[in-house]
Order: sequence, then structure tokens, then C-alpha cells
Amino acid sequence: MQQITRKKLGSGIGLTCVTTPKFKRAVMRLALLLPLGGPDAALRAALPQVLRRGTAGLPDFRAIGEALDALYGARIEALLRKQGETLAIGFLADCIDEQYAAGAEGLTAKVIRLLTELLYQPYLPDDAFSAAYTSGERENLLDRIAAQKNDPRNYAPKRLTELMCANERYGASVWGTAEQAQAITPAALTAAWRRALQEARVELFYCGTMQPDAVATLFAETVHHAREHMGKEIYLPQSEILACPAGEPQEITEEEPVRQGKLSLGFRTGGASLWGGNPVAYRMFQTIYGGSTTSKLFLHVREEQSLCYYANAQFVSLKGLLLVNSGIENSDFETARDEILHQLALCRDGAITDAETEAARGTLQNSWRAMLDDPLALERYWLMQAVAGTLVSPEERIEQVKTVTREQITQAAQATALDMIYFMKGAAGK
Amino acid sequence: MSKTYTGLRERLELCTLDNGLRVCWLPKEGFSKTFAILATDFGSVDQSFTLDGKRYDTPAGVAHFLEHKMFEDKDGNALQKFAKTGASPNAFTSQVMTAYHFTCTSRFAENLSILLQFVFTPYFTEENVAKERGIIGQEIGMIQDTPGWQTYQGLFQALYREHPARVPIIGSVESIAEITPDLLYTCHKAFYSPRNMALVVCGPADFDEICRLAEQYSPKESPCIGQRHYGRRRGRVSELQITKTMPVSQPQFLLGFRDEPLGPDENWLRRRLLGDLAVRILCGETSPLYADLYASRLVNRDFDSDYIIIPEGAAAVCGGESRNPETVCQRIRQEVARLAQEGVEKTLFTRMKNAVYGLYLRVLDAPELYARQEVSAVFHGGHYPDFAAFADTIGPQDVQHMYARWARRDQSAVSIVEPQ
Repeated sequence: MQQITRKKLGSGIGLTCVTTPKFKRAVMRLALLLPLGGPDAALRAALPQVLRRGTAGLPDFRAIGEALDALYGARIEALLRKQGETLAIGFLADCIDEQYAAGAEGLTAKVIRLLTELLYQPYLPDDAFSAAYTSGERENLLDRIAAQKNDPRNYAPKRLTELMCANERYGASVWGTAEQAQAITPAALTAAWRRALQEARVELFYCGTMQPDAVATLFAETVHHAREHMGKEIYLPQSEILACPAGEPQEITEEEPVRQGKLSLGFRTGGASLWGGNPVAYRMFQTIYGGSTTSKLFLHVREEQSLCYYANAQFVSLKGLLLVNSGIENSDFETARDEILHQLALCRDGAITDAETEAARGTLQNSWRAMLDDPLALERYWLMQAVAGTLVSPEERIEQVKTVTREQITQAAQATALDMIYFMKGAAGK
Repeated sequence: MSKTYTGLRERLELCTLDNGLRVCWLPKEGFSKTFAILATDFGSVDQSFTLDGKRYDTPAGVAHFLEHKMFEDKDGNALQKFAKTGASPNAFTSQVMTAYHFTCTSRFAENLSILLQFVFTPYFTEENVAKERGIIGQEIGMIQDTPGWQTYQGLFQALYREHPARVPIIGSVESIAEITPDLLYTCHKAFYSPRNMALVVCGPADFDEICRLAEQYSPKESPCIGQRHYGRRRGRVSELQITKTMPVSQPQFLLGFRDEPLGPDENWLRRRLLGDLAVRILCGETSPLYADLYASRLVNRDFDSDYIIIPEGAAAVCGGESRNPETVCQRIRQEVARLAQEGVEKTLFTRMKNAVYGLYLRVLDAPELYARQEVSAVFHGGHYPDFAAFADTIGPQDVQHMYARWARRDQSAVSIVEPQ
């Protein structure tokens, strides 16, 4: 068993520590949890990038770069993640463990200090963010928003959820809108930063050899102090889970100047999510339906009918959605759509073999066990757990999946309801 | 044979079977998962070769096609066999190798047997080859719509006139139409010969068992590939710039500097380390030049750089999105010229070398990455953890010599994808 320690460092400040001697590096995260979308959305998307430009002591990229190189190539990356209807912004860092280089004593402490300084002691000439950094990152954000369609494979499911959840918070983009981004100024950004520090829940993570008490002390120096004099109500992560679609399933086709068509289908899971229902049984169903190379979608849509290079089903556990994504020949739209729905109908009818069930169980146990060897995967896993407020370890998931029955899997399939079919039709070279 | 790296706290177990298959185990203390990779020194660049005195010039994409088809056996698909054990199998084809791998947390011996059997047992029919054309055709469509692949391909077309690195790994719809079962059998015979392959296992396992299974399931015969042909070597790039248009929101580019191919006595890992260090000092994300380019909004956080070694070639590459790729390229070329002339300042060199050491060290924590790096190292007669010792042998003048080669006339080219 991995040693997991959960600590509260102050009001609305949580720390998850995975203590293990097996890695040669340490991974750390400092994230603010805030509601997704809303008027501050673009400001919040720009924040980590502007903060990453400089601290009070290291005012530019050059200075930060020098500091990171001197810490044996430690990395600190801006973090911006959609976690159900919660937005996580902050920084993710990793560095080598001190015992693997001469003269590296105190390295972890230095990286944690830099991580917290980036958020709490930024470069604020004249008490506001630098005009140059703000305008630079505003333009980068606008570029990012404009670049979404460059990658059709990722864009199609994103567009699907935007349309399907248009009346829910989840439909909002982590980047906010272009109009919001356009309006970013140093004053507005500085105000949004102060508001975020007041309202956000803080989620800290550490994986490495250092003992949890020592980690807590290092983070607490800055993080707790920053929170002390604030009286505002702290955000509690939540998600609106629709058990079934609000209306009849819709079919939407949009043309884009690409060669290959992208077909994405969005379903509601009947309430199965990290917040409720039986998420482990749902994972079993999703794995059998389209979560592995032995799934029904892979075997029938890809291997048997050669309709696509990829066809998979993804369970959005923090929102209670199932998304099926595939890349197909434009002319195969109806065939592929019908086959994807047909495979779901088979699951609903209980046409699931023992071999499929055991293969899925094995796949899931394997993936949770393998996660224990990957500090970055653990970081993502534990952030999702913190958002849902359910501190279930991967080891517990391995135990839970052992008892999932075929009936529970069939029920999960039966509870799955189609909400929207989105087809990005390739209009190039035709 | 066993090799211990005390400072890194790593150990390797090694053996070469009678048929020439190289086997290596990297134990990882405390890890739950085992990653195994069986790779052949056969990539997309190995399109032309001589076998049993006969020269073959194969259609583009054959190595990748073969990779897809290997999973199929007379008694079913290997993916389904892995499904029963809960392992996650996969495969990839690069310019320089084809590799098959799996990750598992139980039933390792069973999984390794499946891996060895399907990779060493070819089974191709007219029907299953035709079916695969449909799937790969869709993969080609996906790649054609991905700007990153297009800049990468364009760069190699610009850097080389005859070298097969010019050709996409996956081939084209036209080239894969020429692939037949006979051709696949020939390529399998030529390149899936044990002496051309390596098996690397990383994580909990029993080394004696690994060797025993490898012995049992790899063929006794081990034919020798004759020559491989990479075209006539030229001293300069083929074209200075290649431009394509695609539906992108702003230009994407990749700038490349041709470097000397690896010398006959030169160590591959040392060259990689040196190349990675040179690229990082030049324009890595903590470099002074990157800080300037970023501050002027000429590059963004997607900007990336790499050093690539292929048979009879090598290149430093860097790129990303930019509203003005020409200016970025000009600035980087100027910096290469300056570094070639003035050399690298001592403190900058030391901190960058520490950083590269840190990055190489962290690979040891990721079994998939570590094993992949070890396969490449084994193909070049070394071992990945040797990097720590090589790092000590690299000085500022080595990097400067490398810049001097990049700075020579007609050694750099750029590939740009412009918005439509």
C-alpha cells in the first residue's frame, strides 16, 4: 500500500501526500479550485500564464529559467484543468530527489518555495500585473482560443460538450470567450487574482520521499499565511448531474475544412459519476463498450468493419457523461453512427460475455495498479478525488471492481441515454 | 551479466541468446507494473535493403503496415489474448524502429509468451492485408489533418534529397496499395531476425524466466540482412524552405539544422546527450534566446526542440506556432552563428548540463520511457544509464564544435504550414 496522508493546512486548504521511496523525483502541485465559466473565466485562464512570467524576486523568464536550471532542471508548468464544473488553475512542478545529485540538499524546499511564490508573491510593478505580461498573455490566450480547430480530434468532443451542455456550467470553455479575453487589462487581472485567492479552495499535492509533516510545514509557510486575513466564503466544488437528457436526442452536423470526418456522440450516464451512482460499475461498462482494444467499439467499428482508426468511449466521471469519439470517412457517417448505437443496444440487452467482463476487470485493475507507479497520474487522480470530496484510493478501486456483476454492468448500459450526435464533416478536397 | 550503477541506484541484467537476440532486464524496486518491449531495428527509413543477394526497394509505409498486421495470427488476434490477462498492449513504428510492448501488473510470463509468439509468427493473407488498408487509410487521413505531422514531414523533405527520412512513416494511400502478403513476409524475414532485435523488460520480473521464454519462443535461425540503402549522401540541405497551407489559425513551423551522421566509433548516447544539451542552450525553454523570443511574442509555450539521430543523418530541430516564423528562424540562426563563434559561457553551460542531467535522471522513473531509451541504446551497443558517466566527459568546447557544424552554409532548412 502507498502511504496516503490527507492534511488540512487551514480553512479551505487541503494537502494530499503520497509518501514513497521508489521514485527518483518529486512531483508537487498547487491549485486553486473555482467555479468553471462565469464573467472571470478568461481572466482566470490568463492568470497562471501571467503569474508564470515572474515573481517579486525573479521578475522575468530569464531569471526563472536560471533558477529552474540551477535546481537540476526542475519544471514548473502552468495548470488549467476542467474538473467537472470546477476549474483548477495553478502550477505543477517536478524535480529530482535530492539524493541523486551532489550539492542538491534542500532542493525540494526550494522548488516548493518557488511554486508558492509564483502564486502569492508575483511580479507586481506599481501594485498591479505588468502591462507587457498582461497584454502578451491576453494575445496568447486569444491565439489559443482561435487555434482550437487546429486539432480536429480534440476539437470534436469539445464542441460536442459545448453544444450538449449549453445550458449547464460544464458547457463553458476553460479559456473563457474571445470577448472576455479581449477585455483583459492589468487592473482587471490583478483584481481577479485577489478575488481568486479569497474565494478558491486550495488543493496541494506532493509525491516523493519527504515526510508529510515536513511537506506541510514547507507549504504552510506561504499558503496558510496568505489565507489568514480573508473572510470570504470559500468555493465548494460541485457539478450539476443530469441523470437523463433534457429533451429528445439531437443531431448536429458542422462542416470544417479538413479531410476526415469526426463523429462524437454524447450520452448521460443516469447519474453515475464520482458524486453518485456506482462509478466503478460504470467504468466496467465503459471499458467493455469502448475503453480498450478488446471493447465492442474497437472490435466491431474498427477491426470488423474498418470504419475508422479510432473509436472509443470516455467516461467523464466528474460530470456524469459518456462520450464516444471516432474519426471516419465522411460517407460512412450513417453506418458508423448506427454501428456505435447498435453496440450500445447489445450492452443494454445484456449481450456481454464472461470473457468481456473479465477482460474489462483485468484492464481496470491493471490500469489502477499501474497508476501507483506514475506520480503524474497520481496527481491527476487525487485532484479529481479532492474535487469530488471522495478520498478513495486506487487500491480501493481495485477491490471495488472485483465485485461488480454483469447485472450492474447491464444496468449501467441501460441507464445510458443518448443526448446528442455531433458530426464534424470534412469539407476539404472533396 | 549484471551491471550496477551505484550513484543512480540502478541495475541491469543482460544476456545475448545463441540466435543473437539481446535481452535486458531493468528491475525497479517497489514498482507494481512491468513494461516489456520487443523491438526490431527496422524503421520507416529502412525501405531499401539487400537480402540473400537481392535488392528490395519497398513501398513507403511498409514497416508501419507490418506493425499493424503482426497482431494477427492464425488462431486469432494477439490483442484478444492480452485481453484475457488484463495487460495493455500497443505498438509503434518510428523512423528508426518498430516496437511491440505491453504493460501488466500480473501474469507477466503469460503476457511475455504472447508477445514473443505473435512478433515472431507472421501470418498474412490477401484478405487480412486488404482489410488493414482501410484502417491505415483512415490513420493517413487523420495524420494529413494534423499540422504537427505536416511540418515534421516537410522538414525532412527539405533537409534531405534522397534519404528515406523524407517519406512519411505511414506512407500514402497509393504506396500502401502496393503492399502484398509476399512483401510483408520478405520484410519480416529480413528484419524480424533475432539478431536484429532486442527485448527489454522494466519492472518486477524474474530474469531467468525472461531468458528462458525468449529462448523458447524466438526462432533458432537468424538470417543476416545484407546492406541497407539510404541514398547518396549530400553535404547540404535539399531545399531551404518548404511551405504548405492548412486550416490553422496561425503559422506553424519547424526549423532544422543538419548535423554529421554518427561516426563509426562515436557513441550514440554521448551524441544524444550532447545534442540535447546544445539544443537546450540554444533555444530551450530556460534559455536566454527563448526568454527574448517569448517576451516579443514571437513564440509561445508550445515551442519545442529536439535532437534526432537517424542512420546516416542527424538533426537539431525546433519549432512551434508563430505569427512570424521567418523572424524566429533568423534569430535562431544568428544565435547558432554567435555560439559557434564565441562559445558558451561557463556558468550557463554548467547550469544547463545540470538541468539535462536532471531530465535524463527522471526518465528512470518512467518504465515506458526508460525501456524505450534502453532499446535505442542497446541497438547502438550501450545502455541508457551510461548517460551519467558521459555527462562528465562533455565540455563547453564540444557544444561549440556542434554549433560550428550547424552554422555551416546550407545546413539549415525550415518547414512552414501557413493558414489557408
